[in-house]
Amino acid sequence: MSKKHLALLLWAGCIFVPQLEAQIRHVEMRVEGMT
Amino acid sequence: MKQHLQRQSGVANVDVSLIDGKVEVTPKEDGQIDPTQLLKATYDSGVSVAELDMTATGKIVKDTSGNLSFQVKPNQSFVIAPNELSKGLKPQVDSSTLVTVRGQLFKKPAGKQRKADAPAPLKLLILEVKKE
Repeated sequence: MSKKHLALLLWAGCIFVPQLEAQIRHVEMRVEGMT
Repeated sequence: MKQHLQRQSGVANVDVSLIDGKVEVTPKEDGQIDPTQLLKATYDSGVSVAELDMTATGKIVKDTSGNLSFQVKPNQSFVIAPNELSKGLKPQVDSSTLVTVRGQLFKKPAGKQRKADAPAPLKLLILEVKKE
């Protein structure tokens, strides 16, 4: 694999790997009295 | 209740399971959701919340009183209730490392409850530290 292909692969990896971001991702509640 | 919750800011989707009494709330991409508001909105719709769990990514910090806190946004943090898992997070205090945790923010107290009581501030009981 050429250096150009390797660089492209690294660049694509940086773009498509989801970045970890501080946020609430999911909330789950157990409730009572729901009809 | 579903519509009531869906109107809250930051809420993308609400799934209600009548069989097991579970309500799953998916935040919008920006993650600007307030669990306290969700609790209030649920109570306002006439339903009692027995437990509220959340999965979130944030930083471990120490608040002004020296308590270990989980900070999601500069204006949104939750005091961590001490347990075995929270001890393991101490080395990460004030580091820029983000951690993803699943924790319990609210559990209905056992026994009789006085309705006039002011709601206690939510404490995060860490149930799981997720590996990213």
